[in-house]
Amino acid sequence: MAHNIPADLKYTKDHEWAKIEGDVAIIGITDFAQSALGDIVFVELPEVGKTLSHHQTFGVVESIKSVSDLYSPLSGTVLESNNDLVNAPELCNVEPYGNAWMIKVKLNNQSELNSLLSASDYQNFLSSL
Amino acid sequence: MSLQKTSLHEAHLSLNAKMAPFAGFDMPLQYSSVKEEVIAVRENAGVFDVSHMGEFFVTGPEAIKFVDFLITNDFQNAELKKAVYSPLCREDGTVIDDLIAYKLSTEKVLICVNASNIKKDWDWINSKLGKFNCTLTNMSDDYSLLALQGPRSEALLKELKFNLPVDFPYYSIAELPHSGESIIVARTGYTGEDGFEIFSGHGFAKKLWSDLLSKDVKPCGLASRDVLRVEVCYPLYGHEINDNVTPLDSGLAWTVKLSKENFIGKTVLNENKPKYQLVKLSLERGIPREGYDVLNENGDKIGSVTSGTMSVVTGKGVALALVEKDKAPKDKKYFINIRNTKYEALYHAKAFVNGGHK
Repeated sequence: MAHNIPADLKYTKDHEWAKIEGDVAIIGITDFAQSALGDIVFVELPEVGKTLSHHQTFGVVESIKSVSDLYSPLSGTVLESNNDLVNAPELCNVEPYGNAWMIKVKLNNQSELNSLLSASDYQNFLSSL
Repeated sequence: MSLQKTSLHEAHLSLNAKMAPFAGFDMPLQYSSVKEEVIAVRENAGVFDVSHMGEFFVTGPEAIKFVDFLITNDFQNAELKKAVYSPLCREDGTVIDDLIAYKLSTEKVLICVNASNIKKDWDWINSKLGKFNCTLTNMSDDYSLLALQGPRSEALLKELKFNLPVDFPYYSIAELPHSGESIIVARTGYTGEDGFEIFSGHGFAKKLWSDLLSKDVKPCGLASRDVLRVEVCYPLYGHEINDNVTPLDSGLAWTVKLSKENFIGKTVLNENKPKYQLVKLSLERGIPREGYDVLNENGDKIGSVTSGTMSVVTGKGVALALVEKDKAPKDKKYFINIRNTKYEALYHAKAFVNGGHK
């Protein structure tokens, strides 16, 4: 099945995406992730002000039958958590790159951006699974 | 060891089902969405391939007497053509499996057992046969089993020329001729809805599967089956019941008929003081999962969640849990620990969802 992989985003092998806007990253899960999880019914996100290190668990996403940790693709401080998503987790299935963004993070280590995958790298990674 | 395949394996792959190993079989977890599959069964009709389950036949003059001795529920006094749900226990009262025994005739009983326990049950039952005048046959590889579940099920079978008995209530069984073979239709299931389980040869099952799909019956996988059974609070072997608990520990006292003359486990169960109690809990927010701790108001662990899921019907996280009987709070104030946060649970005296079966 073909999955939507917007060209302007960065990705991780844990199936998170990051949109980089200066020193802020907007983070969510990919179309592949939501499709693999199925009906998403619960999202737990961190409080504003929390400091996240690279690859640290920042929340969970649950489908009817499964629980998955969310890993921060970058280190920084949480500026905003998407409360609308907490109240309507099914948005993850509908628009994973839009209204289902999860957190906004103020980055504290720009060099980590090099560790992220481009859209084509992520596409190749998915093909290899 | 490679995974076994049911006769419908190809059909599952062609529907792009998400497959997973279960009890040694490569089984469909879900086809479309778990939510849609649950709703189809509650409101319309869904079909499950449960061919992995085991079928044993007990035949001969003492078939009924033997089955009645094996199980804790009353089989002797069940009417002909009726089904009886029962635990199968050891002498010490612990549960080997739970099963449905079908009284096909005075000398023929069908026992349907969990796939994961086929060998364990087979060995146990054989070891108890002794002087009973009957014969055991394991037909698990020869039968396919489809479960058609949901309010539209009866109408669908009639459309497909199943000559069901006029009087055919829930928990009964019939042997029917259909398309030149003899098939077994039981009005049973694991969803709480009206429905049928159809035991047949593999070719018949493949044809029935495609006939049902062509009538817009939703193919449903093991994931939705589990949500459906948790919603109506049916126990599952390996979760609410297992080798270490008795039926009295897990809410199944109604299946233990101590008034029966004799059955395996009677002596112990007669004097048994249950250690555990099965409770039904739901959460306003959050989803309880198997293995999560159940706490009292002080935060002490008093038990564990044995099955947990999001209920599609109620939209709430729901759980079945075994708690230590002497620690169960009198005021029914239970809490569940989710990722080190204590969530207050709502105690339910009845099932989360009322199935529609008659």
